[in-house]
Amino acid sequence: MPGGRDLKNDVINTSLCALCGACLDWCPYIKNLDDNLVITFDCNVTDGRCYSVCPRTHTDWKLITEKFFSDAESTNEIGNLKKVYLVKSLEPVPGQQDGGAVSALLKTALEENFAEGLLLTTTGESIEPVSFIGHDLKDISRAAGSKFMASTGLRKIMEASQQGIRSLLMVGRPCQIQALRKMQMKNIDQLKDMEVFSIGLFCMWSLSWDFMDYLQHEYPGAKIESMAIPRHGVEIITSEGAKSFSTDKIKEYIRPGCHYCLDMTSELADISVGAFEAENGWNTLIVRNSRGIRLLRHAVEKGLLQVEEYPADQLQFLKQASFNKKARNLYNIKELVELKAVKTPVELSHYQYLEGVNS
Amino acid sequence: MEWMITARETGKTYLMQGNEAIARGALEAGIRFAAAYPGSPSSEILTMLGHVAKDMNLYAEWSTNETCSFEACMGASMGKVRSLCIAKQNGLLVIGDALHSAALSGCKGGVVLVVADDPSAHSSTNEFDARHQARSASLPLLEPATFQEAKDMVKWAFELSEQLQQVVMVRGVTRIHHGRGNVTLGDLPAELKAPEQVGEWDKIVAVNWFHDLMLDKLDQAKEIFEGSSFNAYVGPDEPDLLVVTSGSGWFYSQEAIDTLELKEQVGVLKLGCTWPLPKQLLLKHLNRSKKVLVVEEVDPFLEQNVAAIIGHHPGIQVEISGRCGGLAFPRTGELNPDLVRNAIAGIMQASFPAPSSTVIPVDEQVVIPLRELTFCAGCPHRASYFILKQSLGMQVGGGLVMGDIGCYTMGGQRAGHYGINALGCMGGGINMAEGLGQLTRLGFKQPVIALAGDSTFFHSCLPGLVNARYHNSNMLFIVLDNSATAMTGFQPHPGINVTAMGEAAEPVSIEKVAQAIGCQVTVADPYDVENTTEIIYRLARKPGLKVLILKRECATLVIRKGSRRRVWVDPDLCRGDNCGCGRFCSRVWGCPGNIWDYEANKAQIDEVVCIGCGVCASLCPAGAIKVEGGEV
Repeated sequence: MPGGRDLKNDVINTSLCALCGACLDWCPYIKNLDDNLVITFDCNVTDGRCYSVCPRTHTDWKLITEKFFSDAESTNEIGNLKKVYLVKSLEPVPGQQDGGAVSALLKTALEENFAEGLLLTTTGESIEPVSFIGHDLKDISRAAGSKFMASTGLRKIMEASQQGIRSLLMVGRPCQIQALRKMQMKNIDQLKDMEVFSIGLFCMWSLSWDFMDYLQHEYPGAKIESMAIPRHGVEIITSEGAKSFSTDKIKEYIRPGCHYCLDMTSELADISVGAFEAENGWNTLIVRNSRGIRLLRHAVEKGLLQVEEYPADQLQFLKQASFNKKARNLYNIKELVELKAVKTPVELSHYQYLEGVNS
Repeated sequence: MEWMITARETGKTYLMQGNEAIARGALEAGIRFAAAYPGSPSSEILTMLGHVAKDMNLYAEWSTNETCSFEACMGASMGKVRSLCIAKQNGLLVIGDALHSAALSGCKGGVVLVVADDPSAHSSTNEFDARHQARSASLPLLEPATFQEAKDMVKWAFELSEQLQQVVMVRGVTRIHHGRGNVTLGDLPAELKAPEQVGEWDKIVAVNWFHDLMLDKLDQAKEIFEGSSFNAYVGPDEPDLLVVTSGSGWFYSQEAIDTLELKEQVGVLKLGCTWPLPKQLLLKHLNRSKKVLVVEEVDPFLEQNVAAIIGHHPGIQVEISGRCGGLAFPRTGELNPDLVRNAIAGIMQASFPAPSSTVIPVDEQVVIPLRELTFCAGCPHRASYFILKQSLGMQVGGGLVMGDIGCYTMGGQRAGHYGINALGCMGGGINMAEGLGQLTRLGFKQPVIALAGDSTFFHSCLPGLVNARYHNSNMLFIVLDNSATAMTGFQPHPGINVTAMGEAAEPVSIEKVAQAIGCQVTVADPYDVENTTEIIYRLARKPGLKVLILKRECATLVIRKGSRRRVWVDPDLCRGDNCGCGRFCSRVWGCPGNIWDYEANKAQIDEVVCIGCGVCASLCPAGAIKVEGGEV
């Protein structure tokens, strides 16, 4: 069975790493700062927790589906689901993006005792992500809005466990949700006494932290305050005013590991939330199991969330977008496999239908 | 034993270390000034002289580096008092430039330079032969072969120095400096010479038109050496084999001849004066034998100089062997009695019985486990290298570390996770880093780090730091400041508040020096692994020159002060071999204080060696290591 040495060979050295944070803070040999991660020494462990929970090693989607999504409908493009909704928050939070659905769900979870703690991500001095365990409404508003650079937020599971939190609501990227499910399947010590509810975000990619160096280089002396990607391009708010440039520029800074990800909609989350492309101010929400439905129902009943039927044509667009990401990145994975650069690539079986569609 | 070197007991014989004998010899010569930079195997000499300096009415200092010490002696020489400078072979090369100038100018009061060679480099980076410097600088050279000679020769060297008005070099080797033998004491001067006023034309200047004069002094030395009793012959009038030897080779040769029972066939010419060679004495003996074996430490210095004499005298028909000719000895490494015995036996075709009594049956042999050099328990360098391993692992292409000379040199081995990419001489790290760091402008991407200890910082990093700052090289200079010259035995250096003579001194601040040069300086604690890892990570990524002082007192000094906190492993928290770390504390962290309890299969602290630094407690993934009064 594989351990740290294999994680280094199969994931770190091949640049597959998604920087989810699942392997951090329980091992003295894995160290991370910014988006750089190093495995300093070989642990000699042949069945490593790090390897088994990594979203870029073999993942048994079938078993995970049986355990967490037994009552869901299965789709090829956007995973298991109960239903897709068009939603918007009825009590907007400052700083929220799109419909503010995540903030509304978080508020519901706190007030209805779904969660004692929240695993959230805010930004630091500039636009770099900083994950933390939040406990109140202030924390929710601190975390509102999109982050564009990868955070290792999943490491905070350790902190939550140390704080004795028994129910945690985690907001994460697809890779982080996958790793969370693998942790739950492995029943790691930290999750023995902690329920984790997950809100997965839609994600096309995340940016390398070198992007900050680029911005510093482009706008010397200016403090980079925030960033957004509205339809017309990238918008950077600096201490010297707003700057904007084409989205093509940031593509150079997409983390290499993101090119091997087959999951746009956080298919293993209890609830997934993303932008609604057709109209500003709304979110797409996929509720994937009965736990998700419970939280959503509470949010609606509390009057925090407005829920509408999802337009059928938009569902097709969503599925197509998700399919495109899968198809593109599956091609990248296959290339790596052919180069024999990876021994145990990202699980392919779940996506076998893609090969049929592709060929 | 300092009382032996100051005892007024003329004629009394004591068992003395070679370094004690040298110190005693200098005191018998009435020195008023002594200076050195520490280096094994000669560090003890100045330590002792420093301790007795006030009683013996002399001045002694641990200078910032060897050339400071030597030129200070030359300065004292202007006042016509006798000065002793001590160095090891590497230090001699630091003196090199000054030495060649001093040889031109000559001295007033006697100046003796004792140089300790370290064959096999037991306590050095490299072995090489100091004697070439005497020849290169045209200085008289003496080599003691016994402990008595170590004392007597140093005393005589001062007389010679004042007679020739020239610096005299005395070259010992580890076995002379650190060996012990009987030494009969001579007189200590009843009165010491006071410094004299320097007259208007009483100059010490090195100018090239003294070159001839310098060689004249060497000729005079040769004449004196011809009659010196430090050169001695023992053996038959016409030996089948003539052994020519100096230094520790004298003991080895006598023992070999005894063992082989060849007293009637083999003679030994022991030379105490080895540059310039006493040519007439040599010719006399070379004419009486057909075979010559030269027994000497490190290079074939004597051998080649004797061969040159033979070359100039076609009438002499001898076969010469040694380190170079005939390959009688290995080209490298220290000699020993067995090598000398085998060489003589080989030439004489003599056999010798195997010493049967010393063979231990296999089942009675004690297996000594292989032990690597490592840092002491609680050593801040262990933490520094662990931090470097982590923070540089996260850099583009990994960071590169230019090492330097000190305890931290061991970081190039397993103790520091092989954490050094380049290693040269004292002060070499910062200069290599300056050069490599300049390549960033040509597209080089890896961060470059230079290391230096606090003593090395003062010794030879200052010009390098000025150079790196002025040219703004892209590099991080890390001073591993443990407030000690630890490797050689805690001699004071300019950052310490006490001098060699035990007087209080105002320490020179490394931080302020670096700031004054114009560097941005950060100070961090190597015991704080997490924060310091991030500090190095961030500094290494910044462009330009950065200076980081990792400040934490040497663990051995801490333990000498007596207080230590108790550290222990909570067996309920230690997960033993079920922990994913795979025995991080005893296997990877590698502090001698972290051991494994094989019965309980849990980690354990060896409370005998643990100094209570608590760094392992901050790193244990299970939080199983506990520190009295909480973590650092």
